[in-house]
Amino acid sequence: MADILEVVFRRFASGPVTSDARLPPDVESNTVVHGDRDSSRCVLFLAAVTAATDLGLKVLFFTQTPFESLQVSLRGSVPGLKLEALKNVKFVYAKTLEEFLEDVASLHELDSPPSLIIVDDLERYLHRSRGGTLQDDLSPVAHVAALLHDTAAFLTQILHGRGENKGPCKFIVSFYPECDGGERQAADLLLSVLERYLQVRCTLDEVRGDGVTGQKEWRVYLSATRPLQDQWGVQARQWCLVVQSSGAVEFRPVIDGEQEIPEEQNISREEGDVETDNKRLN
Amino acid sequence: MGSCLLSVAEQLFKDLQRTYTQTKHIPDDLLIALRFVFGPCALQALDLVEKRSVKCVTSPSGRKVFQVLGGSGRLYTCYSSCHYCPCPAFSFSVLRRNESLMCKHLLAACLSQAMGLCQQEQVSDQQMTHVLSGQTEANT
Repeated sequence: MADILEVVFRRFASGPVTSDARLPPDVESNTVVHGDRDSSRCVLFLAAVTAATDLGLKVLFFTQTPFESLQVSLRGSVPGLKLEALKNVKFVYAKTLEEFLEDVASLHELDSPPSLIIVDDLERYLHRSRGGTLQDDLSPVAHVAALLHDTAAFLTQILHGRGENKGPCKFIVSFYPECDGGERQAADLLLSVLERYLQVRCTLDEVRGDGVTGQKEWRVYLSATRPLQDQWGVQARQWCLVVQSSGAVEFRPVIDGEQEIPEEQNISREEGDVETDNKRLN
Repeated sequence: MGSCLLSVAEQLFKDLQRTYTQTKHIPDDLLIALRFVFGPCALQALDLVEKRSVKCVTSPSGRKVFQVLGGSGRLYTCYSSCHYCPCPAFSFSVLRRNESLMCKHLLAACLSQAMGLCQQEQVSDQQMTHVLSGQTEANT
């Protein structure tokens, strides 16, 4: 199974993706998504949808906040999307860290375990459980990540033992620590603790728009944490996430600093008009 | 801590398992290597192993976890697939300062597993859930 997020980006890409840089299959690629809450939630939801509909996986989606609205329009992004496959996604609204830990710790009791575990807004579970700042005590952060890792490793054995050819069980968490005074060092420390147990970091940086088109744009960087760098390289893979004013979502690969845009789209930018050569996409 | 040091540690455990299975004894060169890689906590960990302080807890689902009885009498739950211990030394020396690969509890669990010196305990799947979530200890 290739990395889930790369599958998502290709699924929602506006055209053929020429880059063949993928993670080797069956490589452990648990991911931390690091970005603002809206974009992170969007990416996690798309990962759940893609895993359930395209890959036929059972997905467990942990969140404290029920989905009341989303920035993205699934039907607008992928016409013909079979939404009945979304029954493979189970949403779990654990209110507290203790509930969340118990829910994850109990997954070995399930007859039909998930292949993908998604955790939205991990820092909210950690913040609500105690006073003080997250960086004061790193043990709870490590505990959650280690439990997820151990659970995914166990469920992988179960899935393989049953002959279910759905690859390893993986998990994706979104984590955006709001450190006091915006201290980057504290945020980096917390991420470094998480990345002892996760192999991929997906960073979302919002691109300031012109305010005219109504679309929102983020640069997406997929990079390997240290253990995986030997196989994947140090270079981050880049994509561009665009959410149109209609809610349609689109991912465009970025190669050498340039977005790959289908020939039929002429996009006006501050630098000038850009037309892409169709040959680049073939 | 680099991934190469982790690889060295894993190889050490494999060498220890092979040697101890045959001789029931840890040769001096392996002891020196353990001390070199893990620092002072190597001897503390071996002390815990000698006291049979490590318990492998399993449940009918096949889930497995290790519990280590520390010198203070407190039980620490360590997972089988990755490095984590709830003790203050792990939080400080490993997570915050990145000075050590493991704390003595985690190292004792790895050594006990390699040497086949874990006590065994079976619990129900529900009890395992409580142990894994950190809510309760299996049996103190």
